[in-house]
Amino acid sequence: MGARRRVPGLERERARWGWRFVAPGIVFFSIFSFYPMLNAFWTSFFNKKLLSLKSPDFVGLANYVRVLGSPEFWNSARATGVFTLGVFIPLFSLSLLFAALITGLRRGRRLVQAALYSPAVLSSVVAALIWLLMLDPRGLANQFANFLAGTPGVDRKWLADARMVQISTMIVYVWKYLGYFTILFVTGMGKIPESVYEAAMIDGAGPFRRFFSVTLPLLRPTTVMVTVMIVIQCMKTFSTQYLFTQSGAPSAPINVITLNIYNTAMRDLNIGRASVMSTLLFMLMLGLTYVQLRFSRRGEDDL
Amino acid sequence: MKRFVAAALLACLAVGAFAQAPVVAALKGKKVEITIWTHEDPNRTALEKRLIDEFVKANPGVKVNYVTYPSGKIKDIVVAGFAANAGPDIFNLEIFDGYQFISNGRVAQVDYAAAGYRNAKDLESKYLAGMLEPVIEKGKVYGLPLELTNWALFINKKIMRDAGIDPDKDWPRTWEDIMSQSERIVRREGQIITRRGFDFRYPYYLTSVMPMVEQLGGELVSKDGKAVVTNDAAWLKVLNYFKDFGPNGRNLGSPTYAAARKLFDNDKNEIAMSLSGLYQEARMRDANKAFYESGEWMVVPYPQWKDAAKKVPNNYYGHYYMVNAQKPKLSQQASWALLGWMLRHGEEYLEKVAIVQPTKALMESATFKAMPYSDVFAKDLAAAHIVYYGEASSKIESLLKEAFESVMLSGTDPAKALDKLRKDVRAALED
Repeated sequence: MGARRRVPGLERERARWGWRFVAPGIVFFSIFSFYPMLNAFWTSFFNKKLLSLKSPDFVGLANYVRVLGSPEFWNSARATGVFTLGVFIPLFSLSLLFAALITGLRRGRRLVQAALYSPAVLSSVVAALIWLLMLDPRGLANQFANFLAGTPGVDRKWLADARMVQISTMIVYVWKYLGYFTILFVTGMGKIPESVYEAAMIDGAGPFRRFFSVTLPLLRPTTVMVTVMIVIQCMKTFSTQYLFTQSGAPSAPINVITLNIYNTAMRDLNIGRASVMSTLLFMLMLGLTYVQLRFSRRGEDDL
Repeated sequence: MKRFVAAALLACLAVGAFAQAPVVAALKGKKVEITIWTHEDPNRTALEKRLIDEFVKANPGVKVNYVTYPSGKIKDIVVAGFAANAGPDIFNLEIFDGYQFISNGRVAQVDYAAAGYRNAKDLESKYLAGMLEPVIEKGKVYGLPLELTNWALFINKKIMRDAGIDPDKDWPRTWEDIMSQSERIVRREGQIITRRGFDFRYPYYLTSVMPMVEQLGGELVSKDGKAVVTNDAAWLKVLNYFKDFGPNGRNLGSPTYAAARKLFDNDKNEIAMSLSGLYQEARMRDANKAFYESGEWMVVPYPQWKDAAKKVPNNYYGHYYMVNAQKPKLSQQASWALLGWMLRHGEEYLEKVAIVQPTKALMESATFKAMPYSDVFAKDLAAAHIVYYGEASSKIESLLKEAFESVMLSGTDPAKALDKLRKDVRAALED
């Protein structure tokens, strides 16, 4: 009887300590993430201007109607979609490829990992500034592309042409995050038991068969996490597009939603409409993450 | 008589040399802390910190925090500060960004007595006509000019001669000259430009491209304020000029090449002509003294179209020092007293920082007249008007950038770009 009484007490004590440990995190999240999110949602129903001293009027859904009816917003949605897709495909496949290659390495694994990861430690602003120099008409990117194509003197217009500037932002992002996602995949692959590979080899599976029939299915939790993270990161992209447009690149092709939010708030001072776009972006990210998680759970059940 | 003039001059110099910061009676025995947010400029920072030290010595109860931010960041920082009701006591911004602070009641009216003036009339009488206009609302003045700048055309004579152009005789007077001379000067490796004749000041379309439209009779907003983007022929001519000038036309320049103004001072055979202000001379002197003293550069007026309907030089723009209206009255008084003291040193600002405070005294001073080509800037300034400013000026600047660069870089049809620009400008103003 005494033992029965003691166990719940111990659990309660453990729970109390649990709350004590997570409390700072909850407080921090509430102040710096949850409150701003709620505040942005609330602000989206007011015609609030950043510098105005007058109390903002409640306008209901008028800001939503205005934003959703604006071609500029849909251009931003297009730019974000194109960027997300344009980054997701190469970033996901290259990370997986490099992870498979690194896992197979017997020597120099850490060196290759460090080399691939190094761009990720740079701030996005520094990365964009480095690439601005490389993408200059007289920069390395043009010289390299012309060397490969054997077309000296051709200006690829990395920052000037509407299509090329979109590709340039994707290149910067893939370069910066390739190492980061490769390491996530390497970690995921490291968790797959060696015995499974040994069994597959005994059954006569070659390297490709082992990769597609063993590695990929067992890597699903990592794959889902990487997919969600890449999509969310891409939708939040800002610094590269901001710095490129500040350096003379045309804005419309790369006016992603975050850049539009920034300009609406800081340039046009219309925090009400900027909040609408933030809310819509948040809902979109939440929806996509939910769909991906549901899809992955269904996949797990099939295994 | 000569002796009297000499004695008077000596007396004036002595007064200047021993001029002391004003002791503000209202601040006696009180503690006031003033924060200044301004953009980075090492020469100006050194001068202003010295002037602040002198002011603080005369008013020991005052503490001044002088904070500088990069030019590209300061607007966001000031906006964010004021949005959180935590702005500085004193700040400065370009007028087309700063005007929104006045129209939203964020800026305090100038305290004439504290700043060293008898009244508004006395203050206005010290400046060239119209120079305080952007900061006057209902007869009250809300800012003091830190600098007003207009741009003229800097020319590298060596490059011009190398291209077979006599710069002293055949310097470009028209936009047609700019195009034809650029074609003679430009050098390329394949499609890649290695030497430009001229390039624009991207993305300052309100400041530097609007005058091209106005020369042909076009307007951004009509005088009665009812129509926007008027006179299609004028706009289309300028849009087509950009299309022709850009990488898909004659390939003479582009916003994605290094800024012409920055390359000009290097004198490395990269750019022959660049638009800039008088301040460029000090930067050139600091960056490349040999070139500055070589006599191999000159400044000529802002070009006009051959068939211009009227002469319109480059618009002038300005930074005004303003005071936060949300601060206590005593802080405001101390702020205006400090600003009055600092801005009383217009000649030093010109000598050390090469920025022009448009006071009558400065424009008549020997210091201004001794600056190379200051007469070119002064003449253009007299005929120019201030850059467009209003609630939506920042948005309109970005719309102009989008219209011109879509034509120049993305091959958009100028007529379509113009229609979109008109629609967007109207919407921006209605907002």
